[in-house]
Amino acid sequence: MTLEELNVFVTTQANVSMEAYYWWCTALMVIIHVGFLMYEVGATRMQNAVSSGVKNLLAFAFMIPTFWLFGWWIYLAFPGGFIPIDLEGYGVPWNVSMGPMLSDQATGIFWAAFTLFACTTASIFSGSVIERIRISAFTFLAVILGSVVWILAASWGWHPDGWLVTRFGFHDAAAAGCVHTVAGLFAFGVLLNLGPRIGKYNEDGSANEIEGHSLVLSFIGLLTLIVGFFGFLGGCLIWGASDIGGWTNIYGAPATLSSFVFNTLMGLAGGMIGAFWWSKGNPFWMMSGGLAGIFICAGGLDIWYPGFAFVLGTIAGCAIIPLNNWLHNTFKIDDCVGAVAIHGGAGILGMLAVGLFATGFPAAGDIPASNFMGQIIGIITMALTGFVPGYVISFIMKSAGWLRVPDAVQKAGIDKAELGLQAYNQ
Amino acid sequence: MNTWPGPVNSWEGVDAYFTWANSPGMLVLITLVSVCICIGVIIAAAKHESETAEKNK
Repeated sequence: MTLEELNVFVTTQANVSMEAYYWWCTALMVIIHVGFLMYEVGATRMQNAVSSGVKNLLAFAFMIPTFWLFGWWIYLAFPGGFIPIDLEGYGVPWNVSMGPMLSDQATGIFWAAFTLFACTTASIFSGSVIERIRISAFTFLAVILGSVVWILAASWGWHPDGWLVTRFGFHDAAAAGCVHTVAGLFAFGVLLNLGPRIGKYNEDGSANEIEGHSLVLSFIGLLTLIVGFFGFLGGCLIWGASDIGGWTNIYGAPATLSSFVFNTLMGLAGGMIGAFWWSKGNPFWMMSGGLAGIFICAGGLDIWYPGFAFVLGTIAGCAIIPLNNWLHNTFKIDDCVGAVAIHGGAGILGMLAVGLFATGFPAAGDIPASNFMGQIIGIITMALTGFVPGYVISFIMKSAGWLRVPDAVQKAGIDKAELGLQAYNQ
Repeated sequence: MNTWPGPVNSWEGVDAYFTWANSPGMLVLITLVSVCICIGVIIAAAKHESETAEKNK
């Protein structure tokens, strides 16, 4: 074999391996959706179980074509802000770049991974609005969140050329901001306009617990989610192929799967233990705490000392419960799965933790090192990017009468009234 | 209709290798059809929900 043939062989194998890696990350991320579906359906009362599942499936189904139509292009075109850069046609659906090409083994597989990131983002929002949002309205809002809002935030802060990164040194290796904070705050904005389920609050303002119909389904769903997040987190690393020589984080700085797995598992365990302690053994919060433990570590998942990831996870597991209670008591929202606190709250804490405890880590090229002010600017940007469109668009939809299921249909049960079927023979 | 982007039965000179790859008009048309499907189904679902609400008044 000549040197030239060896070079062709190595390059070919690297490209094929890259495709295979992201292919399986994408497949694993579908399991996130399975988990969210089981979790939501279990947290729903029996009379609305099917509609909750249908709603979740629709988010998945609509995210794929819409992310192909405009989501991927938004990510590539808007790193500078609101004015798109000239991509010479790349990324728009009528350009050949958005189809199979012999010279490009990366676009399809990265588009797929980002599409599943988008599905995850929409699913985070999905659980918080169950049992009273119109399915069509939810689908529209899910498309806005999954194929426009979060990916715009990703273009700013989860892209090597994003303005938050190049100007302020924003560091968020595993998307605590653009995925979790944006989705959590978007959900918060919608919840303010959507209102609670009938029977959630009494006239004196006190709240009633509305229990789902299957705690077992919710448990399995939550643990399944965690399995799927290994695909998500694996997809957050960039395969260096043969020309760089190793993994990098999304900003181009060296990273390893080892750092990701160290800190993911330690954060997960910390979150479960913290929530177990704070909730005095509530299993729902234990599993949610595990997720929050991963999300609080996400910003610095590539650089944390694993012991500190465990401590951070414990803090997240403790913090989300009072935060969720405060949100409900103050704003009278009905966040059925605690998504605002778990994703929004832990996501913000994750970005803040990098600013407090991981400053000075060098990035690639001319990108400034991680720093406190960069993280604060990132937090404000991500929170506003999630909340403002969620609130404004849902307010317009509410004003147009296209947001909430009428009370009579809620009382009759959405499954029977709208879908003409029931989840179980009672 | 042959939609193969290269010479018949050859990969020579081929880069984009999908149906209508060398027909920009068809790519735009199919894109528009995809957009219409997405919007149309959401509108149809909203209509069904409104009818259900009327029935349950």
